[in-house]
Amino acid sequence: MSAQIPNFIIIDDSRLDCFIAEKIIQNSGTYSSVKSYMEATEAYEAIKNGLIGDDSIITIIILDIQMPVMNGFQFVEVFEKLPKEIQSKFAIFLFSSSINENDKNRLDNYPSIIRFYSKPISKDTVAQMIEQI
Amino acid sequence: MEKQEKIKILYVDDEINNLTGFKASFRMNYNIMIAVNATDAMQHLSSHPDIRVIFCDQRMPGKTGVQFFEEIRSRYPKPIRILLTGYTDIDSVIDSINLGNVFRYVKKPWADDDILGAINEANKFYVSNSLLAVKNEELQRAYNELDKFSYSVTHDMRGPLLSVLGAIEAAQHMDDITEIRKMLMMMKDSVRNLDDFIQSIHDYYNLNRGELEIKEIDFNELVEEQIKIFNFTYLMSDVTFNTNIIQKETFRGDVLSVKLILNNLLSNAFKYQRKDNKDKTVDLNILVENGHAVIDVIDNGVGIAENYLGDIFNMFFRASTQDVGSGFGLYNVKAAVTKLNGKITVDSEINKGTHFKVLVQNK
Repeated sequence: MSAQIPNFIIIDDSRLDCFIAEKIIQNSGTYSSVKSYMEATEAYEAIKNGLIGDDSIITIIILDIQMPVMNGFQFVEVFEKLPKEIQSKFAIFLFSSSINENDKNRLDNYPSIIRFYSKPISKDTVAQMIEQI
Repeated sequence: MEKQEKIKILYVDDEINNLTGFKASFRMNYNIMIAVNATDAMQHLSSHPDIRVIFCDQRMPGKTGVQFFEEIRSRYPKPIRILLTGYTDIDSVIDSINLGNVFRYVKKPWADDDILGAINEANKFYVSNSLLAVKNEELQRAYNELDKFSYSVTHDMRGPLLSVLGAIEAAQHMDDITEIRKMLMMMKDSVRNLDDFIQSIHDYYNLNRGELEIKEIDFNELVEEQIKIFNFTYLMSDVTFNTNIIQKETFRGDVLSVKLILNNLLSNAFKYQRKDNKDKTVDLNILVENGHAVIDVIDNGVGIAENYLGDIFNMFFRASTQDVGSGFGLYNVKAAVTKLNGKITVDSEINKGTHFKVLVQNK
């Protein structure tokens, strides 16, 4: 699955953080498409209904933890209940400006989370994520 | 002291005469319970956890007073233990006091003044011990809250800073000036959010630690001041703001709290508007009469989903992704209303608008 150019979606309630992530990804040149969602529920609906997600290329989800309405963990919980063939089109990376011990311990409970990264996202993070998928 | 409930005192002695004499002498001032042996004494202790002082005779068949105290100490640590004894037992008394099982001793036969003095001292000791326990508990709770609080605060303060940092990083590779301007505007919002957040922490601190400062409040003046603030921050730019202030009497209250309530409710009303609504309005009605002020803040904005209404006054709760809130504003409003012995209610419907009603008492 490696060495392919992935799609990206960003789920973050901060408009600025979405914008930054888009720019950094675009500057990296290693992307097929990039799209932002400021509400996790909206992204979830789109994934569930097959509006996003590609059969041939994997889609990296850049997911913020602390968000109102549906936070990062809640998103992962509903995501992991989706059919396996939908889940396999995505790779989730969790992002936050800080993480407490409690949340760190929770990471292991969710097999679909590949890794946690501290904000802000950088060129190197993008490269690392692509290596891991 | 008269109005308070009498202090409960337990006296344990195998001699009935001593028990009845003791009770007769002190029952006017204290609630005296008596027991002829350890078993009876235990019964009193288990049914009256608020017994403050225990007197016990040293010489009893089967068990000495020192032994009795040693036994009950771990199970009933709160009551203050006083031994009644003659001079001949002095060695065991000294040991016992040194071991901490006995607070003090009164020699037998006792004089009323000795007993009264002992009760007085014991009671003082009991009261300061209890206060200490309460303070300790409060402190522990405050520590736990502080833990949670500092985590959330660090997160909420670092968030906007890291965003700005990321933006600066991204700008290194951007050539399009309109893109950069667009990002600068977002950075400005981010910095403003951080500033708002720090301001709300300051409000939080004032509300929780600050004293009430009761002054006469002119609501017209207060609202004028608010309008100036909102004009300055451009929040009101495309919203029609209607005010209707009727102040029928002089109102006295804590100015800071009232300001905080108005400021937060109005800024929410301005912020959480529907972007596509051509006719955005915020109504502020204030009516001061019959010893209280009723403040209504009504908007026709995004509204709050019914399942979130119960949570909106909780710290760090945010019901919307629109316009980054601190999760602090309504918590502070609620704290301010409570501080003023007031009430706050909310009515809201998604995409129709929100109505906050605050009632505060005139002091």
